Amino acid sequence: MNKLLVLGINIVIASILLLAYGLVMAMPSVIGVSMSMAVIGGVIAVYSSLPRDPEAGFLLSYVKTLVNGLTAAIEDLDLLDAHSSIVRSGAGTLLIVSRAPCVENVDPGLGFSQGSPYIAIPLESLSTVFEGVSAEDVESFLRAVLVDELSICRAVSVSVEGNIYRVALSGLSDLLKEFTRYPLDPYTVVTLLALSRVAGARCVRLVDRSVTPEGVVLAVGVEV
Amino acid sequence: MRSRLHQFIALYTTLSALSASALSLLSEQKPDAYIALNILAYYTSYAITRPGVESWRVKAVNIALLVVFLAIVSYRIYEVLTK
Repeated sequence: MNKLLVLGINIVIASILLLAYGLVMAMPSVIGVSMSMAVIGGVIAVYSSLPRDPEAGFLLSYVKTLVNGLTAAIEDLDLLDAHSSIVRSGAGTLLIVSRAPCVENVDPGLGFSQGSPYIAIPLESLSTVFEGVSAEDVESFLRAVLVDELSICRAVSVSVEGNIYRVALSGLSDLLKEFTRYPLDPYTVVTLLALSRVAGARCVRLVDRSVTPEGVVLAVGVEV
Repeated sequence: MRSRLHQFIALYTTLSALSASALSLLSEQKPDAYIALNILAYYTSYAITRPGVESWRVKAVNIALLVVFLAIVSYRIYEVLTK
C-alpha cells in the first residue's frame, strides 16, 4: 500500500465523518464539502495505482522491446525449456539461462558452457533494490521486497520442502502482469534474486513456474 | 514537483479547496454544487497537467465523473425549466 493510497483512504474516511456530522446537524454546506472531499479521496486512491509519470509508458514500451529481443534470442538458442538460475560468483551476480543448471565460471552475454549455449545477464543494478531491506525469514524478506518496497504484488506466501522453496505471488501489478507470458518475467527474476540474497546461496534455480489467474507460483531450488 | 501526478494532485486539491471555500462563504446550500465544481476542478487540473497514462482506471474515473457532472447539470436545467 503506497502513501498516496493511504492519503486517499484517509480523506475518504474524514469525508464520511464530516458527512455524518453534516447530516446530524442538518448543514447542507458541510454535506457538500464532505462529498467534495470524498471525490478527492477517491480520485487520489485511483491514481495511487498508476505509474508516476507518462515517461513510464515509454519506458514500458522500451522494456517490452528488449524483452521481445531477449525472448527471440532464447528461442533461437533453443533454451525455451532450459534452466533459469542465478549464480553468484567472482564475476558478480548473473542470471543464467542454460540447459545445464547452475553453470559456473561464465562471462556475461552469450556463450557455450558444458556443451550448451547460455545467456548470462548481470544483475548488479537490480540488486540495489534490496539495499536496506532486512527481515527475519524468507517470506518476510520477499514480502518486504515485493510488496512493501516494489509494490509489484499484494501477497506472498512461501512453503519449504527440502531445498525447494515454493513461492506464490498474488495480486500482481497490472503493469507487469503481461510479462508473465514471456520465458523470463520480472517476478521470476526478482524472486530468484531475493532468494539468492536472503538464503546466501551460491546458486538458485527455477524448478517450475506456473501462471495462475491469481498470480504466479514458483518452485525454486536453492544450492548453498 | 517530482512528477506530473503530484502536480495534478496539488492543483486539483487546491482548486477543489478554493471552490469549496468560495461556495461555503457564499452560503451555498446545495451539496451538488460542491460536487459539480469539484469535478470541474478535476478536469481543469487534468487538462493542465496531463497526468494520465493509458489505464482503464483513469478512463473509468473520467467517465464516472462526467456522468455525475452531466446528471447534476441536467437535473438543474430540468429544475429551472419546470419552475
